[in-house]
Amino acid sequence: MHGVKRVRQTPEALAAKKLKEQAKIKEYLALEKEVLSKQASNDWSREALNLTTRILQINPEFYTVWNYRRNILLHGIFPGSSPLEINNLLSEDLTMTTAALKMYPKVYWIWNHRRWCLENVPEGPGTETEGDINGWRKTNWDREMFVVDKMLDADSRNFHAWGYRRYVLASMPVARPEAAELAYTTRKIESNFSNFSAWHHRTKLLSSLWGSGKLDYSKSKEEGKHAMYTDPNDQSVWIYHRWLMGEGKTIPTLSVLEREIVIIQELLELLEEQPDRKWCMESLVHYKRLVLRKHSSTIDVPGVTSECRNLLNELRRVDPARRARYEEIGK
Amino acid sequence: MSTELLTALHVQYIQTLGKSSDDLVYHLTAHLRLNAIYWGLTALCIMGRPDALDQDDVVKFVMSCWDEQAGGFGAHPGHDAHIHPTLSGIQILLTYDSLHLLDVPRVVKFILSLQQPSGVFAGDSFGEVDTRFSYIAVNALSLLGCLDQLDIDKTVDYIKQCRNFDGGFGNSIGAESHSAQVFVCVAALAILDRLDVVDSETLGWWLAERQLPNGGLNGRPEKLADVCYSFWVLSALSILNKVPWIDCDNLTAFILSAQDTEKGGIADRPENVADVFHTQFGVAGLSILGYPGLEDIDPVYCMPAKIIDAMGLRKGWKGLERRTALTV
Repeated sequence: MHGVKRVRQTPEALAAKKLKEQAKIKEYLALEKEVLSKQASNDWSREALNLTTRILQINPEFYTVWNYRRNILLHGIFPGSSPLEINNLLSEDLTMTTAALKMYPKVYWIWNHRRWCLENVPEGPGTETEGDINGWRKTNWDREMFVVDKMLDADSRNFHAWGYRRYVLASMPVARPEAAELAYTTRKIESNFSNFSAWHHRTKLLSSLWGSGKLDYSKSKEEGKHAMYTDPNDQSVWIYHRWLMGEGKTIPTLSVLEREIVIIQELLELLEEQPDRKWCMESLVHYKRLVLRKHSSTIDVPGVTSECRNLLNELRRVDPARRARYEEIGK
Repeated sequence: MSTELLTALHVQYIQTLGKSSDDLVYHLTAHLRLNAIYWGLTALCIMGRPDALDQDDVVKFVMSCWDEQAGGFGAHPGHDAHIHPTLSGIQILLTYDSLHLLDVPRVVKFILSLQQPSGVFAGDSFGEVDTRFSYIAVNALSLLGCLDQLDIDKTVDYIKQCRNFDGGFGNSIGAESHSAQVFVCVAALAILDRLDVVDSETLGWWLAERQLPNGGLNGRPEKLADVCYSFWVLSALSILNKVPWIDCDNLTAFILSAQDTEKGGIADRPENVADVFHTQFGVAGLSILGYPGLEDIDPVYCMPAKIIDAMGLRKGWKGLERRTALTV
């Protein structure tokens, strides 16, 4: 259970609530029993489908019933349906789960069921020779993008929605241009700088755009600098900056590292004694250590080492929670 | 607010959970029942009260969740088999030294059947994939002594592809790093002796930055703290031998502040409604933090360390020394 406030109830109020719940429990258990017994007897009728709708509206986490619903459709209803009817049935399920997601945006099973629906949309309404054979699929996947947009408007950090967005982007019959998706992350970041989910998504898009030569690497650099200056205490930006510096993939050249170190040092001086300085200092230590590790032959090793030591001493003071880490690095 | 772990109250809270059938939420959470019993039992073991539930009743219930058609456990009698309750069932049986009741070859077959060509595992036959399920498969196969039947390279390869530049791991390729996914990926790699895949320094940095000024840990940058992340983050830190990289006293205080001091149990945050999930992961976190009087939790398998040690499965993790008394 997440984010539900504790309320103190009088014994009378509690007893009244329990009493009220008894009727609901009875009704729910009867429904549950009916659904599970129909499932056990492989009842794949319309009536059984409607029962699964009812119970899933009350309890969308009942994974066994989602499985049962899919089996009813696959084995009981689709075999006697035309492609148009199948498309309509799946559209209905997508509509039903859109409503459920509004109430339960973090229930895995609802998101899963949508994937299954989309993956089972039949070919049509056209054929290979006439009209658009992928017409229904295009309509459904396009609408899906719209649903994900809405879900991320409601909660811009929803982990499920971001994962699902990547899935939709990868599966759409007509791929969405990566540049359009990059613009989407820009909008998300502009409306909330702390949205690391959007920064993360951006790292994946930029890697791909740079790789295909569709975007110039140097242009993306500026935004990192701009973001650091906007909110120097926001760790999303600093983590993103580390990615921009090629960490994990390529080793930045000495000139790139030195240029970034100067930029961060300037910011550090601007911040003077503010506690916000932590991320500036932490990043400086990181990049200076990178210089020491990778470019030791061309730099003043004792000088840079001593700068790192001084920064680490200062970090121990301003960020005592992570003192042990700074001490370990200092060794 | 309490500055001490209210062990007796939490034991009582867990004991009462099985007797809440007059509560609607009890019925609406039947799909988590086997998981909930595992969480409750493990918390009880860590609090030194493995006897607090009726062993025969629990074992009987576990066996009644067996899905004969699929060859795995559902979360509740009549529910479909799924890899998650299957692991919980195995863990409960093991805790009660009752694994002999299990049809091991069948359950191993069920688990192995869920591995996808990419190397990741699905939760059930409908195919939702997630690194959580990879961990569950690895954990279960290891507990059953059947890791030799797993394609380890393929399993590791998928996990490796979920690693991000920040050192963390996501639930699938391309997904954002998340503390809970870091736990499952790092623990799976630990079981498979493949921690070479982890960039320990970068991940240690990312994990240490999960701590907020209130002492609690979050799951991702710029999110709120939550007691369950105490375990997800701490387990990974302990596997990397970096628990002291965060302020352990402050985290201890945060977990303790989320206790329900009247009815027992631990919530996600102070003042919120307690549940058995957060009770287990709060207690497990405190165990790694060396809280006095608790038993060791094995952070890799998330089971009592005694059991894992006796099976010879212990990996090289390190929590804080167990303190003998509370320091004020």
